[in-house]
Amino acid sequence: MSAPSTPDPGGGPWRRLPERLRPRERELPGRGELRIVEGAVLVLVALLLAVATVNDVVRQAGVNHRLVADLRTWRHYTHHNYKNVTTDQLTFGAATKRDVVCGNTVPGPPKQRTQICLAVTGPTRAGLRTVSGGWYLPAGTEYDKRAVRYGCFGQGTVGLCRK
Amino acid sequence: MSVAAAGERLPLGVSRRLRWAPALASLFGLLVLAATVEVVIDGSVGHSSLIPKQPAIAGWMSGIGERLGFRVFLIAVLVSTAAYVGLLALAFAKGERAISRRWLLALIGVLHLVIFLGPVLISTDVFSYIAYARMGVEHGVNPYLHGPASISTDPIFKYVGHDWRNVASAYGPLYTLISYPLAPLGVSGALWAMKVEAMLASLGTLALVWRCAKARGLDPIPAVVAVAINPLYVIYGLGGAHNDLIMMLAMMAAVALTLTPREGAGGERREAGAAAIIVAGALTKATVAALLPFLILSRRRLAPVLGALGALVAGAAIGYIAFGRHGVDLVSALNRDASFVSTDSFANEIAHLFGKAGVFPVDHTLLKGALVLIVLHLLWRTWRGYDWISASGWSLLAISVTSTWLLAWYILWPLPLAVVARDRRLLVATLLVQAMFVTHQMTPLIAPVS
Repeated sequence: MSAPSTPDPGGGPWRRLPERLRPRERELPGRGELRIVEGAVLVLVALLLAVATVNDVVRQAGVNHRLVADLRTWRHYTHHNYKNVTTDQLTFGAATKRDVVCGNTVPGPPKQRTQICLAVTGPTRAGLRTVSGGWYLPAGTEYDKRAVRYGCFGQGTVGLCRK
Repeated sequence: MSVAAAGERLPLGVSRRLRWAPALASLFGLLVLAATVEVVIDGSVGHSSLIPKQPAIAGWMSGIGERLGFRVFLIAVLVSTAAYVGLLALAFAKGERAISRRWLLALIGVLHLVIFLGPVLISTDVFSYIAYARMGVEHGVNPYLHGPASISTDPIFKYVGHDWRNVASAYGPLYTLISYPLAPLGVSGALWAMKVEAMLASLGTLALVWRCAKARGLDPIPAVVAVAINPLYVIYGLGGAHNDLIMMLAMMAAVALTLTPREGAGGERREAGAAAIIVAGALTKATVAALLPFLILSRRRLAPVLGALGALVAGAAIGYIAFGRHGVDLVSALNRDASFVSTDSFANEIAHLFGKAGVFPVDHTLLKGALVLIVLHLLWRTWRGYDWISASGWSLLAISVTSTWLLAWYILWPLPLAVVARDRRLLVATLLVQAMFVTHQMTPLIAPVS
């Protein structure tokens, strides 16, 4: 223990304890080894948190750029400039960078018309990514699940449709 | 608005050097106010990614601004943060020579008024509070057994956050009982009442921060500036009318009671009262219970133990009578919430740093282990004379940093303690953690999705 402290003036039931275990009323300024160790740990933790924060901002910015390319790809492929287009990065797994983008095939409220979903993959070139396939969802479908998909097309969608 | 302290006579050179400080403080204060007004005015236009669906309580302002988007919001947060840092630096460097009490009170009052008149910002939590109250009072449903989905026909239901519709209350029975009288006021009436509650709790907390700083021989101006002007406190905490503000009020009331002379029966009564208030605070929101072992260890006498036990028995009895066994089983509610993962949690960020997709059960165990080690170290230090307020603040900071479910208002918990703590490293660490949190929010500004 590096921070010496004043003994408990009252003593009380703790006086039988060895000095190094006895409670103290107040720490005295000492050589401060403990403070240095604590400070070093705090600096290391702060560095870890700062690096993790910056890394996550950069990672998320990359994901956002990909999302923008996904949306642009869907609009380019379908020739529909709709605003309500949804993207999903988990259908194929977050690490695969294969995303699914869904939107209505005709104008109407979000998800209330037949939707076309595109499996989008590869790097972004001229703001667009590659469409490797896709499927359709019936009008009124809230969640994109295998049980409701139909009309799968293109490579890489084998087994993703019910029929 | 002049911010110079009145009635001071200073040498001419010093006076000249200080002339810029009040003007600069005024500028920083106005920037904080302008950024807050911008968020509130744009927020009042209606529902967006940042403004939850809510009754049109601020509809009279809706014609002025534009719907609040990430870009404007994040720029406002950045401006507010920069001005806050400047104001805090001035407050620490020059104290009342840069920021007069009257000016500071006026700024705090105006900020509170602007937030009070505006819409609920960022979070749907306040609608969960109202839903739990309405479940018990209007529908006879126990909020500790069912989620708001059990009252899906109630007008409050559509405002409850999607993720929380099937989740039973994790708040303490005391808080639920406090919110019960608000249920018959209707959705808008209850919302206004919740906003009044949050505002009064905030003002009470700030008054206690002032008092505690003075009791510790610290300048209360920087202490109050650090809490009251903090953008996370104003926009996220107060803007969301979070019950964390009530918890912080209880926390600071307990601290204030211990910062009086210890001698005599009065001292023991105050320590018993402080422990009882901490327990009452924990029966509002459990986190504040973290202070109790540090208070007891620092006092090493029976009064706080008896105070805590008395409050616990009374609170548990009331909770049990009102809500049954589930009303007092806060541990399982906390365990449930501790398993949630938010994108802003440091645990999640560290997982990404090491190439993992997210936080796994083993990480929860590691984080809990780290938290236990930190708390044990702090308990030992408190036993050996370390400032119990600092130790409590470090514990609250450690809880928020190791939590996988981190929200902006959670990293406010240690702030009122940090500004009155003897260990100044706590304030630096708390502000650094808050700065990292704000940085993490900035992604949509760097890479917007449209």
